[in-house]
Amino acid sequence: MSSTTIYPARRIITMNAHQPFASHVAVRDGRVLGVGSLAELEGWGPYTLDRSFESLVLLPGFVEGHSHAYEGGVWKFPYVGFFDRRSPDGAVSPGLKNIEAVVSRLRDIERGMTDAGQPLLAWGFDPIYFGGRRMNAADLDQVSTTRPVLVIHSNFHVLNVNSPVLAKAGIDHSTNVHGIVKDSAGKPTGELQEIAAKYMAYRASGIDLAGVLSDEEAVWRFARVAQLSGVTTATDLHNELPESTVAGYRRASASEDFPIRLLPAFGAIALPVDEGVRKLKALMQHNNDRLRFGLVKIVTDGSIQGLSARMRWPGYYNGLPNGVWNTGPDDIDRLLQAYHDAGFQVHIHTNGDEASEVALDAVERALARTPRRDHRHTLQHCQMADAAQFRRMAALGMCVNLFANHLFYWGDIHYSQTLGPERANRMDACATALRTGVPFAIHCDAPVTPIGPLFTAWCAVNRLTASGRTLGESEQIAPADALRAVTLGAAQTLKLDDEIGSIEVGKRADFAVLHEDPLEVPPTALKDVRVWGTVLGGRVFEAPAA
Amino acid sequence: MRRLPLTVIGGFLGAGKTTLLNRLLRHAGGRRFAVLVNDFGAIDIDSRLVVAHGGDTISLANGCICCGIGDSLVLALMRVLEKVDVLDHVVVEASGVADPARIAELALIEPLLARDGVLVLADATSVREREADRYVGDTIRRQLDGADLLILNKADLLSDAQLADVATWLRQRAPGLRLVPASHAEVPIEALFGLAAGDAPARDAPPRSPAANDATPDGPPIARWSFTSRGPVDRAALLAALRALPDSVLRAKGIVRFADAPRQRGVVHMVGRRIDVSADGPWGIADLRSDLVLLGTPDMPDAAELDGLFAGVAPAVSKSASW
Repeated sequence: MSSTTIYPARRIITMNAHQPFASHVAVRDGRVLGVGSLAELEGWGPYTLDRSFESLVLLPGFVEGHSHAYEGGVWKFPYVGFFDRRSPDGAVSPGLKNIEAVVSRLRDIERGMTDAGQPLLAWGFDPIYFGGRRMNAADLDQVSTTRPVLVIHSNFHVLNVNSPVLAKAGIDHSTNVHGIVKDSAGKPTGELQEIAAKYMAYRASGIDLAGVLSDEEAVWRFARVAQLSGVTTATDLHNELPESTVAGYRRASASEDFPIRLLPAFGAIALPVDEGVRKLKALMQHNNDRLRFGLVKIVTDGSIQGLSARMRWPGYYNGLPNGVWNTGPDDIDRLLQAYHDAGFQVHIHTNGDEASEVALDAVERALARTPRRDHRHTLQHCQMADAAQFRRMAALGMCVNLFANHLFYWGDIHYSQTLGPERANRMDACATALRTGVPFAIHCDAPVTPIGPLFTAWCAVNRLTASGRTLGESEQIAPADALRAVTLGAAQTLKLDDEIGSIEVGKRADFAVLHEDPLEVPPTALKDVRVWGTVLGGRVFEAPAA
Repeated sequence: MRRLPLTVIGGFLGAGKTTLLNRLLRHAGGRRFAVLVNDFGAIDIDSRLVVAHGGDTISLANGCICCGIGDSLVLALMRVLEKVDVLDHVVVEASGVADPARIAELALIEPLLARDGVLVLADATSVREREADRYVGDTIRRQLDGADLLILNKADLLSDAQLADVATWLRQRAPGLRLVPASHAEVPIEALFGLAAGDAPARDAPPRSPAANDATPDGPPIARWSFTSRGPVDRAALLAALRALPDSVLRAKGIVRFADAPRQRGVVHMVGRRIDVSADGPWGIADLRSDLVLLGTPDMPDAAELDGLFAGVAPAVSKSASW
């Protein structure tokens, strides 16, 4: 006979409307046997009382609906971002507040490197907080004039390199290539953007970079960094799913110690649709408690801050031309229809409102051709949607996952340069999603921003930018709604709300264990609530103290 | 260091990119192409010619390989560059919404590649409509603007007058455009990619594999004109003559001794409207002789006319033309 454990807690916030709060939860076979008072739960028979959480607060385990396992991959390399960031081992990698600090950090690392030819790669850099000063090749030449040094920006679309990298690629004043930034004298500064940046990152660091970014170790690091923030289910929301990556997922998730449920999404553009459908169905045969295939991803446009989002009239506030399609409208239609017809749920990356419009049109057409209940096709990011687009989502049976962390990290840029005040104030419109009844989640898009659902919830509640500006009070939501968006709401966008996302009888015993009660702290302190650890399927994972 | 020419083929969905690539793989003429494609399944390869099929790469008996791009062009290109020693030319099929000129720029930061041409296909029956489309109009305009050579495909579906209309409209929106009409993407492959034996002077010719004569002669005929001079070449006059060539001349390649730099081996490379002139080091023991070859469609001006156009460039030793 299976054993039962009953956990008393300071408070259990269940996300179950019938019983929003409780004092005890009983767990059997990795699932929630019951929620209520001890007296109510005792009727289930013999139990062990485990007082580990007596002074702590339990929530449903957080569900990160839009992240990438690359978060685990990049931690193989040093982090040089502006903000403190927790690494998979729980230590805080301190934010570097100016270029000199970045150079100094890299120099220390360089001194410890033994192989002279090995490139030094770092990530997370973001010069937007440095008052206009850009990094240049001379800065990085202070790290080394012989070893290739590459610093990837936090948006993963821009790169700074030192002189040896430029020289090896033959980049000089005569190189006229879009994306190679030059100074007023026509000399390349060492900053590379978009395809030139991506090419050089891979070229200088070797072809196995992609493998390193998503190998078994990377998946482990990703799971650990997610777990530290209270996450029990996380997506890897775009992957070509090559055999090597799938094998890494399988090996990692086969371990009882693997602390999350991982949901990879297949990048639909990678294969002809019939092959893609076959591949996914074959992968789904081996789905288990901790690894689920079945999500499909379509990437329509680029990013707002990268000036590559597809925007409707009147376009970018600073007057720059419209962004670019990653997948054109015809292909969006074709891919969506094929996976829709095959019964899959499709997650559609749309940053700009024109991209959202095209995606909505595509879903509408697919439904006209093949009516289907409860498809829950989900717009991902969907940062610029207006109320009318939300009403269409509701009418079409769609979900949305809004990029709340953008409000903090790029909100100031959106206000002053890309969107302008009016559209910045209504971006990532959580309150509109609530008003229009669109099931919604909020997300971090790690490694673009750090994984941390309490921080993400704080963003949606307070809508504060890095400089302290409040972006649109009318789109602020209550802490309870934000917490729902990182639990049951996110589960709904993944079609897992019958299984996870709330603490109620029959569901998986996945909990976030917190030191403070997120509904009792001031809303401005939501991000400071400390995570004790998690419970995944009844198994306790205590996080190291920050 | 040996550099592989990089050709990028662009154009919107349905413009005929795959048709052109299929033709290229059938008429490779002994040159070992690596062809990077978006939709592996659409490539029409005679299974008898496949010598190896591994994941995202197919190897053909004629030395060509065909690789799926998957979701990262950059990675696909890098995988191909690992095989640089057994290749002669890299061809990338840009996605229907990509800007092929941007992709071609990768050759400028990759020492293993030399930018060859940006060939853009447009569907003659729909390009005007597409160009005005609210969602993809700007994408189409970027593609057209970035083309070294525009292949106006599906010309057979239009009347002569309609075709002339579209061509006029295209020329008006992009002055200087080089445009060649085609049906079923039938453009002389040799003129697009420079396969012909006479394209490059013999010392630059790639090694020929035994399959060199396998190409079936069912493609459209090609016109060729060449020019040889032992006298110094006037740079400005040569550039002016090249710029004055009609659209039917698709490609030019030359090793030239310029009057203003007689000790340097000058290399002239033209695909469509793009002309690159570079210095390729000292002449050394090479024969001090300028050679220039033009390749084009059968509509290319005849020898007499071309002789006249290039008359002021240098005292010619010999000129020849063939169809």
